[in-house]
Amino acid sequence: MRKGLSYLACGVAAGVVLVGVSDGVLSAAASSANDKLALFSEVFNKVRDNYAEKPDDEKMIKSAIDGMLTSLDPHSNYFDPKALQEFQTSMKGEEFGGLGLEVMMENGLVKVVSPIDDTPAARAGLMTGDLVTRIDDTAVKGLTLKEAVDKMRGPAKSPVKLTVERGSARDLKEFTIVREIIHVQSVRAHVEKGDIGYVRVTQFNQEAYDGVRKAFDHFRTDPGTAKLKGYILDLRNNPGGLLNQAVEITNAFVDSGDIVSTRGRNPDQGQRYSARPGVNLSQDKPLVVLINGGSASASEIVSGALQDLKRATLIGTRSFGKGSVQTILPLGENGALKLTTARYYTPSGRSIQAHGIDPDIRVVENIPDDLKGKVSSLGEASLVGHLKAAGEEEEKGSDAYVPPDHDKDTQLAAAVAFLHGAKAETLRSPDPGATVTSK
Amino acid sequence: MIRKAGYLGLGVVLGAAAAATAPQALMFVSPAAYAAAADTYRQLNLFGDVFDKIRNDYVEKPDESKLIDAAINGMLSSLDPHSSYMDAKQFRDMQVQTKGEFGGLGIEVTQEDGLIKVVTPIDDTPAAKAGVLSGDIITAIDDQSTQGLTLDQAVEKMRGSINSAVKLKVVRGPKKEAKDFTIVRDLIHVQSVRSKVEDNDIGYIRITQFTEQTEDGLKAAMDKLHSEIPADKFKGYILDLRNNPGGLLDQSIDVVNSFIDRGEIVSTRGRTPDETQRFDAKSGGDLSGGKPLVVLINGGSASASEIVSGALQDHKRATLIGTRSFGKGSVQTIMPLGENGALRLTTARYYTPSGRSIQAKGIEPDIKVLEDVPDDLKGKDDMKGEASLKGHLANGKEDTSASQAYVPPDEKNDKQLTAAIDLLHGVKPAEPAVKADAAPVKTDPPAAPAASAAPSTPGQTAPAKPN
Repeated sequence: MRKGLSYLACGVAAGVVLVGVSDGVLSAAASSANDKLALFSEVFNKVRDNYAEKPDDEKMIKSAIDGMLTSLDPHSNYFDPKALQEFQTSMKGEEFGGLGLEVMMENGLVKVVSPIDDTPAARAGLMTGDLVTRIDDTAVKGLTLKEAVDKMRGPAKSPVKLTVERGSARDLKEFTIVREIIHVQSVRAHVEKGDIGYVRVTQFNQEAYDGVRKAFDHFRTDPGTAKLKGYILDLRNNPGGLLNQAVEITNAFVDSGDIVSTRGRNPDQGQRYSARPGVNLSQDKPLVVLINGGSASASEIVSGALQDLKRATLIGTRSFGKGSVQTILPLGENGALKLTTARYYTPSGRSIQAHGIDPDIRVVENIPDDLKGKVSSLGEASLVGHLKAAGEEEEKGSDAYVPPDHDKDTQLAAAVAFLHGAKAETLRSPDPGATVTSK
Repeated sequence: MIRKAGYLGLGVVLGAAAAATAPQALMFVSPAAYAAAADTYRQLNLFGDVFDKIRNDYVEKPDESKLIDAAINGMLSSLDPHSSYMDAKQFRDMQVQTKGEFGGLGIEVTQEDGLIKVVTPIDDTPAAKAGVLSGDIITAIDDQSTQGLTLDQAVEKMRGSINSAVKLKVVRGPKKEAKDFTIVRDLIHVQSVRSKVEDNDIGYIRITQFTEQTEDGLKAAMDKLHSEIPADKFKGYILDLRNNPGGLLDQSIDVVNSFIDRGEIVSTRGRTPDETQRFDAKSGGDLSGGKPLVVLINGGSASASEIVSGALQDHKRATLIGTRSFGKGSVQTIMPLGENGALRLTTARYYTPSGRSIQAKGIEPDIKVLEDVPDDLKGKDDMKGEASLKGHLANGKEDTSASQAYVPPDEKNDKQLTAAIDLLHGVKPAEPAVKADAAPVKTDPPAAPAASAAPSTPGQTAPAKPN
């Protein structure tokens, strides 16, 4: 969860503006920096020459870089080439050779959460609840979820054999399925109660805006513009992603005005992003944005802008509070650096860093007893070494629970009721700080 | 505690000569090594590249010193738990600790409810001469209130250069009588050796850590014990190394040499010839007159303590009583870095005279005796040992279980001490001690299939060994 919350990248951009990159160690501009680097080199060389065992140079440098970045803030880190590739894949909107199963780990076995529509797994007849016990004749018991997933993935057109147990009778079934390129959707949409366009964005990857645009296309025919009462944009537990996607999606709801501005130490990190006219897809129908303690970064840019521009009513609980921007700085064959380069500010000029965005109508979910205390996000202000909030007091996180059962989703129900005309006061959850006095 | 168990330095020896400071110096290595050097250069270059990017692009102006400190610490923590970087202040503190002397007043202080309280003034120091008493509460140092200071900060303020003056304000007794002292600092020696006569005929010596004062302290203690106990009555020595986290290697060698006259004490093996050395006893070093010796160890006995107990056990010179030791079998060298402090780097492993490494294993006592731990401390005083430290140097089959590290404050309840006294008095241990014959524990069991033999009665026939 925390790992996922970290990035909000500007894309692979900078790197070229830096001086002295090629000469590395000895070219740092200031002499104090030179002295510091000389100290580092001295220690490195002493370790190489004198350590009790032959040290691993690469591991030492990686640990040094990790140590240095951890001292900055929780969102700056180093990607070695493999980690960079994984990061880039996840930003592209995951695309890989596989079966099309969403799975989770349960009692050491891999359980099918759901086969994704129109994938080899769905066509082969795998069902929600199936327990995968063997993959290509390797027992799943003892594998981690990641190891099991890696075994199911592979090049398109290659076959994989799955053994699954189904139902209470534990019927054994075997499937041989041919892998295809699987596309993970970051946007899901449906029509709610016949007259509301519901759009959920799970993360801001490179395909998020396209997904939102397609959803609007869909709403124009079903239920049809005339019938449409409004939209719900669900950003709960959305950890963020690419800045440009957040800007584009905000622009899908507004015609003009600032969306967000970023400020860093360098002028090139200071930028203002404004809405372009003519790309508003929402026909100014009412909009509710759902947020919770798991809504971070790009999610907070979107909800903060729509709140400041008075375009949306925010329902849910306070957002995470990550008000910084990371840039991916390539390091040639050595991977890349994800570095915090700027803070961002909503149109009204507020920074949400370590503070979060408070919803207009606070509505809490009913958390089942066994999950109580486990589903709260502690928020940015609780992360060790976080950038301090600018001036304002810091706020901790809030609940980050969304009931899997649609019918029990209090926040969603409040959004629907609001768009159907209910008054805000009737929807609001009691203030946890308020004391009820009786005579 | 574990941090304290960290160093066992060869003193300030290596340093400047050992390592090239700038990467281009690597150009001069032999052609065969050039490829490796180029790769190293590439790694350093990557680091420089990241450092530059942070300096130029981070959201706030970064503190370059802090960045480099964090990088060095990150790098060293990837090696093992005993390699670390000391900035200039930490290096000074460590030197004070290993030297065992500093400019100060001569009081032991503790912090109680936020107040700085005198535990005891040390005999024959400026504080004792000025009349500072146990129990005095220090409320101000040089007119600055001690309120809100940590114990370290208060100690730092009281220390200073010799012949400089310091003003103390103290509150004394139930009447809270205020008193002012102006005291001139002097060179204070921290006692690392304490001794006393036990039962009129046993010389008890406790070493709290191996500092530069240890060798002299031990000699003085042994002289004193000889003057207090008539030679014909002298039954033997107890050397108490419990909860002694270690210290200087040369001092541990001197301590062993004070009990034996010949033979190997310890050898170290590293990657460089410098680090591979063998240390032998010097003839004439033995001050013990061959009297019986018991060494007390527990889970808090580490490093230099393990060199001493391992050597004395291998030479069959001492009987070890207590619980298994910590298991730190590595040597750190302090490498000064000019004004930037120093590097404490693991440079070698050490081996006892029989060739065993105690790394992540510890030393088993010859007679295992457990203390009765009060209920409220149970489990808290156990020491998990080297094998449980993250990233420790590996050593085959390791022992990860915890070992007791509790010493009762009241000597009367100290079962390990009582067992030592009994043994020197010739009394068999009352409780079924684990092993009654004091033969050293061999790490390699005999190849002969002796395992099926009936359990031998303590002291009776053990499986035959070639003589």
